[in-house]
Amino acid sequence: MTLSVAEKSYLYDSLASTPSVRPDGRHQHQFRPIEIYTDFLPSSNGSSRIIASDGSECIVSVKAKVVDHSLDSDLLQVEIDIAGERDDSLITESCTSLFNKVLRSIDTKKLQLTKKYSFKLFIDVLVLSSNSYPVSLISFGIYSALNSTALPKLVSNFDDLEVEELPMFHDYDLVPLEVNAPLVFVLAVVKNNIFIDPAANESEVANNGLIVSWSDGKVIAPIRTIALNETNTKGFNPQLIQQGIKLVDQYAEEIAKALTNL
Amino acid sequence: MSQFEVYSPEGLRMDGRRWNELRRFETSINTHSHAADGSSYLEQGNNKIITLVKGPTEPALRSQLDQTKATLSISVNVTKFSKFERSKSTGNTKNERRILEMQTALVRTFEKNLMLNLYPRTIIDIEIHVLQQDGGILGSLINGITLACIDAGIAMYDYISGVSIGLYDTTPLLDVNSLEEAAMSCVTLGVVGKSEKLSLLQVEDKIPLDRLENVLAIGIAGAHRIRDLMDTALRAHAEKRVLNASKR
Amino acid sequence: MSEVISVVSRNGAFQKTMIMEEFSSDESEDDYNMTGSEDEEEGEEGAEKSSSKPTSKKSSKNIDSELMTPGELITSDPIWMRGHGTYFLENDTYSSVAGRVSKVNKLLSVIPLKSRYAPETGDHVVGRIAEVSNKRWKVDIGGKQHAILMLGSVNLPGGILRRKSESDELQMRSFLKEGDLLNAEVQSLFQDGAASLHTRSLKYGKLRNGQFCQVPNSLIVRSKNHTHNLPGNVTVVLGVNGYIWLRMTSSMDLARDAPPGGSTQVSGGEASGRAAGPTGAVSLNPNASLSITRLEEESSWKIYSDENDASITNQLKQTISRYANIIKALAFCEVGITHERIVLGYEASLAYSDVGALIQRDNMEALGADVLNAERMRGNAE
Repeated sequence: MTLSVAEKSYLYDSLASTPSVRPDGRHQHQFRPIEIYTDFLPSSNGSSRIIASDGSECIVSVKAKVVDHSLDSDLLQVEIDIAGERDDSLITESCTSLFNKVLRSIDTKKLQLTKKYSFKLFIDVLVLSSNSYPVSLISFGIYSALNSTALPKLVSNFDDLEVEELPMFHDYDLVPLEVNAPLVFVLAVVKNNIFIDPAANESEVANNGLIVSWSDGKVIAPIRTIALNETNTKGFNPQLIQQGIKLVDQYAEEIAKALTNL
Repeated sequence: MSQFEVYSPEGLRMDGRRWNELRRFETSINTHSHAADGSSYLEQGNNKIITLVKGPTEPALRSQLDQTKATLSISVNVTKFSKFERSKSTGNTKNERRILEMQTALVRTFEKNLMLNLYPRTIIDIEIHVLQQDGGILGSLINGITLACIDAGIAMYDYISGVSIGLYDTTPLLDVNSLEEAAMSCVTLGVVGKSEKLSLLQVEDKIPLDRLENVLAIGIAGAHRIRDLMDTALRAHAEKRVLNASKR
Repeated sequence: MSEVISVVSRNGAFQKTMIMEEFSSDESEDDYNMTGSEDEEEGEEGAEKSSSKPTSKKSSKNIDSELMTPGELITSDPIWMRGHGTYFLENDTYSSVAGRVSKVNKLLSVIPLKSRYAPETGDHVVGRIAEVSNKRWKVDIGGKQHAILMLGSVNLPGGILRRKSESDELQMRSFLKEGDLLNAEVQSLFQDGAASLHTRSLKYGKLRNGQFCQVPNSLIVRSKNHTHNLPGNVTVVLGVNGYIWLRMTSSMDLARDAPPGGSTQVSGGEASGRAAGPTGAVSLNPNASLSITRLEEESSWKIYSDENDASITNQLKQTISRYANIIKALAFCEVGITHERIVLGYEASLAYSDVGALIQRDNMEALGADVLNAERMRGNAE
């Protein structure tokens, strides 16, 4: 997105001033409205589709597979495909690595079936279109997809170390997966102010971006900075990180609730 | 009827259809108004397909610029989760031979149907995402593209509707699903409007020549039916838009 | 509803509304047997299609403003001239898009329900510079192709009678560069439909002091005037192409609206917040109507300035954000966007003291309904 110099300075001044004015009048902590649809892919164990008000959209599928967890201990695998970007592009790779890290906060005990076998979850993300940095969209997608995931119910014995048999499942009964999926927030730093969920034009003038992860009531690692644009990026006051974490701490609970309230 | 019987003596298929019945066909138009100039979402049986049309617009690269007509580019993204079993391939699925072939077939089909000469020096970019597939995918892609292009307001000669027909022994089966597709020889057709003209004919397996005519006849009739379904959907969508516009 | 985020959700569905009424399988039990087709004998659809089943039962109906879909026969009457959205095969005219038939004199065309912006001569558009090339700028106006703005079609610093020199060619980027926004008029169309723009009037040129927003071009109706002063010291430029610029009202904007003779009824509040002209020059007597003699001083380097006026207050920025949200709400409701409706929307929006509340779906819908209601009420009163 290219903006004119006059637009940029107008936006920058509005966002940098105290009190700040966002171009759509939002509060510092206010998200843009989103739409969520879940469980529309019958061939996946869980699925979700998130649409932001600016038309950014992401589709997530969760598929489960039974694996021997002594051979394959990596029980969560995220793959991200961003339309219009190559698989080896910087943004795709950095998002993939971020989410593979963030999802380590999930307790994989929940995926264990028997002493030998576990479910492995393949989380495939398709970003259909995105106007700003897509990680919070993706994290909302993964969050709702995991919440809509249901796995087959085990009918064979838990202790299968002695018996040579594969786990057996109930013909149609499913058990909802209950995990505390993490959320990831993008914050934009403009001078001494910090904003949640920057829109495309806000990202364009931001001095820096902050990625803050959150799970189960607290801020977790990784926390990262990212450059949201190529022209305006510069250093910022470290106190803003504290401020950003506080902001996430304060509002993440409410967002998690809004996302689960289907 | 045994589980693996493709076509029972009573004349029923695995999913309970008769030989001449289409799968459930549902579609909605202008689903992604922010992201594209024209868009459609199509469910044909268990095929679920999003089609986005961007353009006609100024090409990003000089090499895509044609002084006499629009450049048509079609990219098909078959998601890894689209099949029941997740695709295991780790590499780039976008460059798979099967998909490249499909893209070429689609470009050839629509190059002749869209009036590209009306949009010189531009590019029309069609992006398809297959969320779920269950046989006869090429036909469904054709239907999705037709609707999305109409939504984008791109001039075309007529609808193109696509459908796959299998030949089970001597019985042609209309609109095959993936199990049927795997079990028998199949033909995919792209039919121009209500005519008997074919803009696409794909036969990838052996098929007895004397049966081909029969298969084509069934396919054309089925494609005409799909055209009508698309037309009904489009008209319903248009009525709604016009109703909105009357408020202005 | 949460103040932090508003969520619309639905389980087990791909989208908000059901796709359409389901086609039950028995409906598709039409006879696909090619041998025994006993279709009703309908009017032939032209030679090309005579072999197929009849497509349309409407050939006898009045075709005016009827909905057409691609490949549908419009008329076999050869008296019509074929316009956009139609094609011709053996004396028959068919539709090539989905839309309504329009007949102007003998010209028959089909207007698509939706398409990219198609420029027409005289259109007032807002555009963004996409490329600077030899003696011309390429401008993104949301059309099929970029519009062309020739170096000779702009006012250059130093007055209207100034001659263009080679040094101007070399410093084109110092006037307008990639990303810059401007408003302009479509001067003419090229053979292939691309627009040629000009900014040779003081109401056109580089845009400053405000914020950009975009709506579908179908929502903007062509009218005589596309620049409007709004309550709250804000001016809107409604580009016919759906690109919209909201800015602080300048003295130029006020002068344009003032009745001839110079007597203006500017309220004190607006007058105090007033700033220099949109082109940057400060006039000593802002109430005076624009005179030719001022052209020269206006056409200083300042018309290509990238600086915003320092006098834009935070409150004014809030108001501009409010207007941006109102315009987005109107677009969300697919309501045509006019000066009157923006003002009505502004009045209705004052019920929400928090500008950020206007981005919520419910509030956008309520606002759209309020505007249409208010319009109806006023229509009755008059």
